[in-house]
Amino acid sequence: MRRTLIALLALAILLPSCEKEIVVELPDAPMRYVVEGTISPNSPPLIILTKTQSWFDPLDINAIAGIFVSGATVTVDAGSGPIALDQICSGSLTAEQIAQAAELTGLSADLLAAADICIYTKLDLSLLGQIGTTYALRIEVGGETLTSTTTIPNPVPLDSLWFRLAQQQPNDDSLGFIWARFTDPDTIGNYYRWAHRRINLGSDGEPKDATFIPASFSTFEDRFINGLTFDFNQNRTAAPFSSALDDENEEAGYFKRNDTVVIRFSSLGRREYDFYTSMDLNVNSQGDLFSNPANVKSNISGGLGVWAGVANYVDTVVCVP
Amino acid sequence: MPSRILRTLLPFLALFLAGATSAQQRYTISGYVKDASSGETLIGANVYIKELMKGTSTNTYGYYSVSVEPGTWTVVASFVGYEDVQRSVTLNSDQKLNLELKPTAIMSEAFEVVGERRQGNTEGTDMGRVELDVQQIRTLPALFGEVDLLRTLQFLPGVQSNGEGNSGFYVRGGGPDQNLILLDEATVYNASHLFGFFSVFNADAVKNIELIKGGIPANYGGRLSSVLDIHMKEGNNRKFHGEGGIGLISSRLTLEGPLVKEKGSFMISGRRTYIDVLTRPFVSEGSQLSGSGYYFYDLNAKANYTLSDKDRLFLSGYFGRDVFDFSGLNPGDPKFRIPWGNATVSARWNHVFGPKLFLNTTATFSDYNFEFRGGQDQFAFSLFSGIKDYGLKMDLNHYASVRHNLKYGLQYIRHAYTTSTVEVASGDVDFNIIPPPKLYAHEFAAYVLDDFDVTDQLRVNFGLRASGFMHVGPFDYLLLDDRNAITGEVNYARGERVKTYAGLEPRVAARYRLDGSSSLKASVMRAYQYVHLASFTSVALPTDVWIPSSSNVKPQESMQYAAGYFRDLVDHTWETSVELYYKSMNNLVEYAEGAQPQGNGNVNFDTQLVFGDGYSYGAEFFVKKRTGHVNGWVGYTWSRTMRTFDDINEGREFPSRWDRRHDLSVVVAYEHSKRWHFAATFVYATGQAVTLPQNRYWVEGRLVSEFTDRNGYRMEPYHRLDMAATLKNKETREVKDLETGEMKEVPRRWRSSWTFGIYNVYNRMNPYFIYFTTEGTLASGNLRPVAKQVSLFSILPSVTWNFNF
Repeated sequence: MRRTLIALLALAILLPSCEKEIVVELPDAPMRYVVEGTISPNSPPLIILTKTQSWFDPLDINAIAGIFVSGATVTVDAGSGPIALDQICSGSLTAEQIAQAAELTGLSADLLAAADICIYTKLDLSLLGQIGTTYALRIEVGGETLTSTTTIPNPVPLDSLWFRLAQQQPNDDSLGFIWARFTDPDTIGNYYRWAHRRINLGSDGEPKDATFIPASFSTFEDRFINGLTFDFNQNRTAAPFSSALDDENEEAGYFKRNDTVVIRFSSLGRREYDFYTSMDLNVNSQGDLFSNPANVKSNISGGLGVWAGVANYVDTVVCVP
Repeated sequence: MPSRILRTLLPFLALFLAGATSAQQRYTISGYVKDASSGETLIGANVYIKELMKGTSTNTYGYYSVSVEPGTWTVVASFVGYEDVQRSVTLNSDQKLNLELKPTAIMSEAFEVVGERRQGNTEGTDMGRVELDVQQIRTLPALFGEVDLLRTLQFLPGVQSNGEGNSGFYVRGGGPDQNLILLDEATVYNASHLFGFFSVFNADAVKNIELIKGGIPANYGGRLSSVLDIHMKEGNNRKFHGEGGIGLISSRLTLEGPLVKEKGSFMISGRRTYIDVLTRPFVSEGSQLSGSGYYFYDLNAKANYTLSDKDRLFLSGYFGRDVFDFSGLNPGDPKFRIPWGNATVSARWNHVFGPKLFLNTTATFSDYNFEFRGGQDQFAFSLFSGIKDYGLKMDLNHYASVRHNLKYGLQYIRHAYTTSTVEVASGDVDFNIIPPPKLYAHEFAAYVLDDFDVTDQLRVNFGLRASGFMHVGPFDYLLLDDRNAITGEVNYARGERVKTYAGLEPRVAARYRLDGSSSLKASVMRAYQYVHLASFTSVALPTDVWIPSSSNVKPQESMQYAAGYFRDLVDHTWETSVELYYKSMNNLVEYAEGAQPQGNGNVNFDTQLVFGDGYSYGAEFFVKKRTGHVNGWVGYTWSRTMRTFDDINEGREFPSRWDRRHDLSVVVAYEHSKRWHFAATFVYATGQAVTLPQNRYWVEGRLVSEFTDRNGYRMEPYHRLDMAATLKNKETREVKDLETGEMKEVPRRWRSSWTFGIYNVYNRMNPYFIYFTTEGTLASGNLRPVAKQVSLFSILPSVTWNFNF
């Protein structure tokens, strides 16, 4: 971001540049399975299994529905033997259940309603996450085996949250950032992730954010801040592919006076942190000349994605400066 | 080991003995070759005995020495662009003979003397060695009219550029850190301004520029791929003189003149851009850019003084800075300032011990540093890095006999590195970032070489270089666990050895003359490189950090084999050559995938590095017309450059970023009249290898790219035509002779010229980079993946006004 800014400025000041769309013939690369799995205290594991597509495959809703993989054998072992997860498919859910599933998984309700999309969890709640427990994941699908382990760390709270005006536009008294005071525990090796969700209703009568939205650079670690108390701020990241008005006008990037914002501050392990950090870099450096192409660091052997034990601290702030 | 060294050394000892025992009584003619108008010494001028057709060329200080039997001889001195000088000498003792050459009109055919032997392309043992004529470079088209010495190098076969507008150069598959760039013998670590768009060398201050891309003689070392040896002008020691220019983005002024007539002179030259000043009127008050600016400047200065016939002193320096400022108007806006740049100083002492021994002692200082200071709200952030060298070297030229031309030397550099250092604070709270230790190292080398005429046909340049590197304390090495948490420290006291490396670098080059105008040449060289540049990005940025060899960072090493056929045509008016080379490179250094400058905090400087090997091979074809109203060259390179790193591309071999299968350059200059001069350049190169994602997947509703093949995609080929025209004012003006009352022509004291240029004449949209993105929205169902290609420079006219007096 910082380097992009420099580059853009330099180019803007000096250089007339131009851009055009081209057709790129890419060599084929093999398809791989992608795991998006989480487990957190008092919740069942939740696993979304998808597969990679060629970069220029279509991006319509059918094509996206086609990446979800059903029929996999998924087990999670909390130390007392593998427990098979249940497959739940949106085709068998009621509209209300789809809405719940959308909120739970972060998948779009439209997508869930339009196609039969399957996810994996434990419906009878016999497998709930516990702090300090290590969970081994095993997925067998299409003749391939994917494995990973993760441990749920201790949650770490934020000391306080508040809203402050950004004052980046003259005479503006409604747009600002969310600030947090934070004390890092005195042991090194803590990894954190930040996500927000505005739950006040927008003009369409729905909550402004349908689900939690991780910040564009969502993670940090305590390598440089071990044991310190300090303040930091976060701007508002838009939902992926958002076409909402306030993500395109001058309110983009800001929280607004009177927004009610839920903050989800997650603690995670080192390898899970590496995954989200490298994913943020990968997603945000598309089109950035000054970055080296880097793959996401997965903790799944035999596939891509993440199997993440997370402990969430959740708090709400009302945006009144 | 010692016996191996001895065995390698024995042939050299034998050679020295051969040189020392030549029984015939000989006397030596020695001296300097100078420009008659300015007193500036001429580097690489040919001096030979006409009757014997044997001779030598002047060294980098303009000194020559030839030993022949007693008798009466005709000594001839020649240099491109100057009229030949002939002197008859009756030799019955050693003689001093300084020769002064008068400049001819450049590139005119008049000075070619038919029947004279010229030392052309085919004479020396050196291969892959190119001298550029600074005067000629000035007449070539240039981006924004900014004459750029480094960019001109890219027109030579075997030299690749790193994409549009970049003045960086990459020689025979080597990385940007593998070029030894010397400015008056001091190392220049970052030779570019503005992310590589302009080079730091101001052509007005430069006298001579030479690139050696293979068969590097033993007196140079420390880099694997090339040597770029640049000498600043000494300054006119006869009369005061100035020159300068006003261009689109910068202005320049150079002044030179005698300090003490015929004894000492000075030169001072400056250049500053005014992009910041020019863009100011177009940036509206209160806009985001109004608090921002960018500029760079260069300052070169040099002075010399001749103490006696035997002693001469030189002091020269370069200082350049880029400064980038950004500060928004509002309290919440980010603010930052990024200054970076080089400084070099060299002090030299030439001493002539006798007619056959010439000693140069140089003390050098080089400094490069980069700084980024920024902040937003209560956050303050800074990142800095740098390298500081103190060096001392002694080079002895020993003109042992007419067949043996020996050089011996010792070199020492003390390096101090500031690796990427980050500081972050939030309000009053400073983040716990352990300042990384400065790294100190000693680099040594000793060499001996002999340019030996074995027979009339065969000349061999034997060289041996012994080099060593020692990383010394104070140094703290952190012990880290697999989570990069610090578990302990290894401490080294001041001066304590951390790691030592040493090696022998044999260098052999041979020329076999087939006839008067053609020869075969071959060379083998081994080289070690103890300092490395690792880059976080795919373009050279000032954030790139120089790092020394240490316990985990081994020296880079290479072997290069080259062979070539050289032929001069039409009485040396045309030079042609074909060269083949193969180069292997080991222990190359890169940052790991996804490494970030801030990732260097609280770990060791080498934690994010990965190591690998590479090789390059190719064929280079070169045809040059040296003189005439129309002159120039065509260079074509066919090559391949590959890399293998265990930790990149899953260990599979991949093409390097500067791998170019085809690379063609054409340079044509045409002197239409004394006033009008035209030039055109054309380049064609295979598209740059870039890494693009092949697959994509979704996580949390975001589109993630999966890269499978490093540099697996080729952009479209790069090609471009540039043109320039130079109009000089009349050389003379008419004045009335006061005695006779007649009008007569007298030379003008004030000369000026206009250079008009067009960059990218046919407006080719060359690819600069490609990225993938999406267009449309998911909600409306029209989301689609797209590939975008960004081009930088469309057709760009430029005009520059130059003057001299």
